Amino acid sequence: MTDLTVVLAGQAGQGLQAATRQLARAIVRSGYRVFASADVMSRIRGGDNSNRVRVTDFPVGADSGRAELLVAFEPGLVQRHLGTLVPGGLVVVGDDGPELPGGEYRVLRVPFKRLGGRNGRMVNTAALGLVAALCGIDRAALLAQVCSGYEHKGEEVVRLNTAALEGGYRAASDSGVEPVATLGSPETDNGRLLVSGAEALALGAVAGGIAFACGYPMSPGTAVLEALAGWSSRTRMVVEQPEDELAAVNLALGAAFAGRPALVTTAGGGLSLMNEGLSLAGMTETPLVVMSGMRPGPATGLATRTAQADLLFATSCGHGEFARAVLCPGDATQAFAAGRDAALLVEEFQTPVLVLFDQFLADGLWTVDGLEFREAQAASRWQGSPGSYRRYEPSDSGVSPRILPGTRGELVYADSDEHTAEGHITESAEVRVEQSGKRLRKLVGLAGRIPVPERYPDRDARTLVACFGSTRWAVREAVDRLRAQGQDIGMLHLPGAWPFPAEPFRQLARAGRRLVTAEGNLTGQLAALIRQETGMRAGPVVRRYDGRPLTVAGVEEGLASDGTGS
Amino acid sequence: MTRDDWLVEGGRAWCPGCGNHRVLGALAEALARLGLDHRQVVVVSGIGQAGKMPHYLKVNFLHGLHGRTLAMALGVKLANPQLTVIAVGGDGDLYGEGGNHLVHAFRRNPDICCLAHNNGVYGLTRGQASPTAGSGFRDGIHPGGTFVPAFNPLAAGIACDGTFLARGFAGAEEQLAGLVVEAVRHPGFGFVDILQPCVSYNRVNTSKWYADRLYDLAVEEHDPADPRQAMARVLEWPGAQDRRIPTGVFLRVRREPYERGFAALGKGALGRGAVDPDRFLETVEELR
Repeated sequence: MTDLTVVLAGQAGQGLQAATRQLARAIVRSGYRVFASADVMSRIRGGDNSNRVRVTDFPVGADSGRAELLVAFEPGLVQRHLGTLVPGGLVVVGDDGPELPGGEYRVLRVPFKRLGGRNGRMVNTAALGLVAALCGIDRAALLAQVCSGYEHKGEEVVRLNTAALEGGYRAASDSGVEPVATLGSPETDNGRLLVSGAEALALGAVAGGIAFACGYPMSPGTAVLEALAGWSSRTRMVVEQPEDELAAVNLALGAAFAGRPALVTTAGGGLSLMNEGLSLAGMTETPLVVMSGMRPGPATGLATRTAQADLLFATSCGHGEFARAVLCPGDATQAFAAGRDAALLVEEFQTPVLVLFDQFLADGLWTVDGLEFREAQAASRWQGSPGSYRRYEPSDSGVSPRILPGTRGELVYADSDEHTAEGHITESAEVRVEQSGKRLRKLVGLAGRIPVPERYPDRDARTLVACFGSTRWAVREAVDRLRAQGQDIGMLHLPGAWPFPAEPFRQLARAGRRLVTAEGNLTGQLAALIRQETGMRAGPVVRRYDGRPLTVAGVEEGLASDGTGS
Repeated sequence: MTRDDWLVEGGRAWCPGCGNHRVLGALAEALARLGLDHRQVVVVSGIGQAGKMPHYLKVNFLHGLHGRTLAMALGVKLANPQLTVIAVGGDGDLYGEGGNHLVHAFRRNPDICCLAHNNGVYGLTRGQASPTAGSGFRDGIHPGGTFVPAFNPLAAGIACDGTFLARGFAGAEEQLAGLVVEAVRHPGFGFVDILQPCVSYNRVNTSKWYADRLYDLAVEEHDPADPRQAMARVLEWPGAQDRRIPTGVFLRVRREPYERGFAALGKGALGRGAVDPDRFLETVEELR
């Protein structure tokens, strides 16, 4: 079994993200699975950033909490990571720093500044050479990734980076230090893909037919919009950055009204600003996908870090009562499906769908096995006599035939005021009751489309750990570890939170004696939602709210210290 | 085609004597003169008395949120540039709540006609000062009178590189209809600030008050192709003088409309039919 973690530590501006992606892609091409997570400070240059690249030959989606190899671009960045090194682990650091404190690890000093070439600018690529030598990674595969990564910058940059890679490789292999692993290339074409969570969400949007996307820059939502913009000349998507979030959501609603399936990307603060627009989408029954990245609030909080604290907000935000769905994918594969399905659901139900994610999911690099394109359900077509079209015709499903302005011989009205079936303002109590019921009935249909909770392993267990969103793999692996220790424990993961899948959840959870939750917030929002929707009491709660992701060890310890695992 | 072909029969939920009746008439007249197809016209409105306007017209409409009129109108235009998009809002909507959108609409220059109903007060909420109420205006929230100068939307328009800036008056329906025709035809952001009395809440800027001050730029020596002349004219009012208020076209210059900057709008089909599995797969392949 292969389970190896490499930590790359550098300052903002040193090319850490680019190098991590090249390394991870080369390793995936060699036949392994990679999960890489980023720990990034809110600054453009300097600071103390790190990426942890975990390499396995089994499905993975969480950090192991330990590392075999640490490569620090700057001497000052070593200390923080020493605690996670396994005994005998290797630290690679520049030869110009102070002595490292004693410990059960090996040290390789290399002339990092010189290896990095001009002003140390290629230090990131030199580090990749070092990692390749010290982990036995196929050098050619890595070189191919580095070259394609810098192709757009011209031949000279490619040449300099090739030299830096070779220099790093030689420095490590000439040092005589024993490598930490010999990965090699067990498979070379397994069709797997390395994508960030943000790219997975964006790909889902493309696959779901989104043709218009906008957002105001806000971490971690921006990465989704940037991915879409990068592909827009091929996908023919209109992608724009309007003046603020209020504009963004209304731009998207205007576009959706006129016929372009629309998406807004944002984060918790931006979602707060978009609330009135979300409510308008509910009232005008306009399809709208909102992808919102949770980050630690309140207010600006920890701007570049991760949290799961907008769950209850997402299920209820926007004034008034209207139908919505909330999807909370657990990894990149689910993020793709959520993006795609959200786009399909909004067209089918003509109401907003929120996709909740977080920095950990968005910025993490994930290995996915394949992405499925799915054809849309044919929209219900209006076939009436000319002049008889009614945009808000009441129906059992709550969904009325929708036509696009300018495409048929009918006029189309949408109104933010309470409106008649035609779409005109009314204050009639009867119409109000009829239209409110029509809008809310969509929840019945949506409930049938929300992904069901996943039980892992798929058998009864005495203790069940419920979780949602990106904590899926940390909990799953903690469950594996605890089961290996003889504990009767399992996971219930929710990839969709609204309409809450109450019946399937109740049936799956009923078998367990204890129900606990693991979530990235202080107040136990999932536990509260479970209780609200099923009456079941979940507790205690394993929680993390310091801006960092829940880890396997953290969940394991949390369950052990609460005595719930035994 | 006549204006009646564009008007929905039936009652209007406005006060008798409200300037909106005349603005509606001028807009219907302009639509008739433009000879457009009803189904190709989308009127987007916000909240306020002006927001009710599209309900009285035979057009597609999106009656949205207070302040967000221009954002929604822009979305409609970006989805389907073939549509004629007319944004209608009041002074609270376009100059207060939605001021940021107006600033950026001037900059972007989308091919949208924007009609700003400007009566200096918030009618729907019963008479508070709007951004264009002059200093000293008294209302329920400012019993001692407001003490900041009125917003000058046309000056803002010049400062933000607007391309078509006009002012009309609800009491001069013929002139107004002409301005609306020009604003719709202008290939870019056609902006018309429409002065109108509010018979219920504005006791200062009455019809008589306006009649004493308004003049038409068309009969004076004014070159709308020159932004400097335009700026000199827009600074005549609002201001300390309060003597003469110009109407007509202040500025008319050419600049590429915003939506032309989007390559995707050249050929993209509407609706989900636009999705092409091959293009999706190409994108996936690029990530490998």
